[in-house]
Amino acid sequence: MNRLKKTRNQIVVLSLVLGGIIALLLGIFLENKIGIVLGVAFGTLIAILNFIELEKTLIKASKMIPRKAQSYTTKHYFIRYLITGLVVLISIKADYINEFGTIIGLLLIKFVIMITNLFNDKEYFKRIFRKEG
Amino acid sequence: MEPITGKALVLACSAIGAGLAMIAGIGPGIGQGFAAGKGAEGVGRQPEVQGDIVRTMLLGAAVAETTGIYGLIIALILLFANPLIGLL
Repeated sequence: MNRLKKTRNQIVVLSLVLGGIIALLLGIFLENKIGIVLGVAFGTLIAILNFIELEKTLIKASKMIPRKAQSYTTKHYFIRYLITGLVVLISIKADYINEFGTIIGLLLIKFVIMITNLFNDKEYFKRIFRKEG
Repeated sequence: MEPITGKALVLACSAIGAGLAMIAGIGPGIGQGFAAGKGAEGVGRQPEVQGDIVRTMLLGAAVAETTGIYGLIIALILLFANPLIGLL
């Protein structure tokens, strides 16, 4: 379980750092500075909360019987999906939040997972360029 | 009967497109549930590796979840911030 907590904390911290860097860069180069910074912050924080909720769901599901775990995880997925939908809808409707910033923030967690668990593995690149046979 | 205007046609097609894009949200839900069920089976067999199983499942589920978000974003943009109407 310690390894799980370590992975969770690593992803949360890296998401916050990467979100901050992206918000700073977009804020410097784009016109609507406050809107984009608010958008990225809003999206990143909701993505992190969704990630923590996912972790709690999976820990609880792993202690259930398989059939119950399946329905429990699917039910919680749709709750998170609804929350994400509301967040995107709010950012589209509210003028002071940039919707593209929110979208970048929401998708940031995927890139952080790929950077920390896939692209840091040299074997992954070796397997891509390895000839078959 | 009134003729169909270009704006009405674009709005109708956008609503159909938004509905079709929402189908993308169903797949990750089914997949996550299936993975969690199999994960629970694995924990039942080897309770001592629960942490590793949940960790692997967490990373896979988080990546799969963003795929559903793509469809959701497309649907919401088509419904509430349609860029095609501006082209008319």
